[in-house]
Amino acid sequence: MIRELYRQRALVAAFANRDFATRYRASVLGWVWSLLQPLATLLVYAAVFSLVFRIQAPPLGSDPDRTNFAAFLFTGMVTFNLFSGLLMLSMTQLKSNGELLRKVHFPAWTPILGASVVQLVQVALELIVLIAMFLWLGNIGVTWLLAVPVLIATAMFGQGIGLMLSVVNARYGDVQYIVQVVLQALYFLTPILYPLSLVEGTADWLAAIVKANPLTWFVETMHQVMYSLVVPQWWVIPGLLAVGFAVFWAGFTIFNRSSEDIGELL
Amino acid sequence: MTENIAVELSNVGKRFMRHADRRNTLKERLVRGRSRSTQDFWAVRNVDVNIPKGSVYGLIGHNGSGKSTLLKLITGIYRPNEGRIVTDGRVAALIELGAGFHPDMTGRENIRLNGSILGLSKTEIESAMETIIDFSGLREFIDDPVKHYSSGMYVRLGFSVAVHMQPDVLLVDEVLAVGDEEFQRKCFDHLYTLRRAGRTIVVVSHGLGQLEGLCDEVAWLDHGTVQEIGPATEVIGSYLQRVNAQEAKANADIAATRDDTTMRAGNGTIRSTGARLIDAQHTAINHAETGSTFGIEVDLHCHEEVLGPNVRLAFQHETGSLVTMMSNHRQGVDFGHVNGDHTVTALLTDNPLLPGRYRVHIDIFDHTGSVLIDNWDDALEFTVRSPRGEIGQGFVELSYTYEIS
Repeated sequence: MIRELYRQRALVAAFANRDFATRYRASVLGWVWSLLQPLATLLVYAAVFSLVFRIQAPPLGSDPDRTNFAAFLFTGMVTFNLFSGLLMLSMTQLKSNGELLRKVHFPAWTPILGASVVQLVQVALELIVLIAMFLWLGNIGVTWLLAVPVLIATAMFGQGIGLMLSVVNARYGDVQYIVQVVLQALYFLTPILYPLSLVEGTADWLAAIVKANPLTWFVETMHQVMYSLVVPQWWVIPGLLAVGFAVFWAGFTIFNRSSEDIGELL
Repeated sequence: MTENIAVELSNVGKRFMRHADRRNTLKERLVRGRSRSTQDFWAVRNVDVNIPKGSVYGLIGHNGSGKSTLLKLITGIYRPNEGRIVTDGRVAALIELGAGFHPDMTGRENIRLNGSILGLSKTEIESAMETIIDFSGLREFIDDPVKHYSSGMYVRLGFSVAVHMQPDVLLVDEVLAVGDEEFQRKCFDHLYTLRRAGRTIVVVSHGLGQLEGLCDEVAWLDHGTVQEIGPATEVIGSYLQRVNAQEAKANADIAATRDDTTMRAGNGTIRSTGARLIDAQHTAINHAETGSTFGIEVDLHCHEEVLGPNVRLAFQHETGSLVTMMSNHRQGVDFGHVNGDHTVTALLTDNPLLPGRYRVHIDIFDHTGSVLIDNWDDALEFTVRSPRGEIGQGFVELSYTYEIS
């Protein structure tokens, strides 16, 4: 798989380049606009959930007497957006490149990964904003370095599922709408807008669902290393990487196996 | 696979599902269940074709006979349900030119993108870049977004990229009918260059005349199965015979009215009632051969006495070009007073016509050449074959001598 990925890097880059051009070339301020939407969401959610619902974020790692709901929320949002962005974008790629796939024979996953590269740039922008936020709060720690493997694991997890679903979506066009709804539900079943401790005090079944949600694992670990500045237990990050890699490998294998006839499916 | 075979198809079959019965959404799938797969049909089946290296191979057949499906199978866009396809070397397809061009990107960027999709490496693309731009003739516009290109420019750029990726096997599907005359010629020249360079070319086309000149071998497909494989002239000949027979059958009524002398133009004092191909011994034949003697006999029926009519025979090549016009006036032959039934014979010694399909239109004028008496379009259609199996270029083989001093 790795060799195959490496061999097609030029083609992935060419597709990334194309999507890059179309996504951001239209306006000089393209980069700024791309950040506007997540920041606006952050602002609204932060206001509603901290001021109206009075949800308390856990204490900051650098100063246990202070909390910052916006920073807590944005940490979770960036992680979840990495997952859902890759998944949704991947799922629609086969359709939007259908014209090409029907006429030229090339590995069908290359436009998907090309689009994902561009999505990763978007995530990197959001990360810069997040880091700037923490710098301003003075919440800095070496545990930040651990965020890198966690983000890689999250990306592989989302990409793997995206690859699997893209083939299903090519066959059944309405799958993407179902997935959209499921993702929305997942968003609220992941401790992004509230700390995990909040559900632990409520109904047991709800707590069980939230804890069983794999996205909770990724988001909570990000909270630990970025917000609370604590090192997770030694097996957590290798575990997440293993899950991410396994899902990506499965997605890639399933995709390759079922996309051989993709040209006639589209 | 033997060494000098570029593409080997053995017992290849491809099955498609009828679209009406496909479940296109998950909802349909859940509501209506699994589709009954009784609606399958085979687009191609039991195809055994070996395409030799360095040859130009043609695929002919009616619409929907499976030609394009076969090309898509060779490129790998489709996978066969049955059989095996082995290709030797890089395969490039001119199936849809400019597929994958992005309107917002410039011509140059699209060359890079398209090149990568077609499988070229970065260095290969950059080294071919200038040649591609020159070949397309779009240097002036190459740094403009392709959304501002005309459709012709679009296709030219696509063709230029595709032919410059140094394919070992080039698949061409009806795309040569694009672009202006000048560019089309350029394309053909390029195909001949590739052919000389020993590349293998597979062409799908309905331009049978073009194919006859370009191809070494032709496979004729009919409803997904191979009807005949062999030298281009032979296979095209038998394909045309089949088509003509079918057309004759289907158009029997129309032909009856067309050949109905009362429906023709002209004053009708003379009508040509029959025409046939004959050999030197005046026996009817099916086809003429280059270099040997053949003739055309025309039956005339005069309703009244006519003085010195001019019976003209126009030869039209399958490409639509008028090859020649024969007439007794041009030969200085005066038929004098004619009445009743006559047979006019035009005999061609050392037939100069090169292999191909020809049609004969017959018209008759009076002795002044200003009054049309009879006009019979498509009176006769015949094939010219070469006894030596050569094809030659153009319509005729003139007799000449060559010297060097």
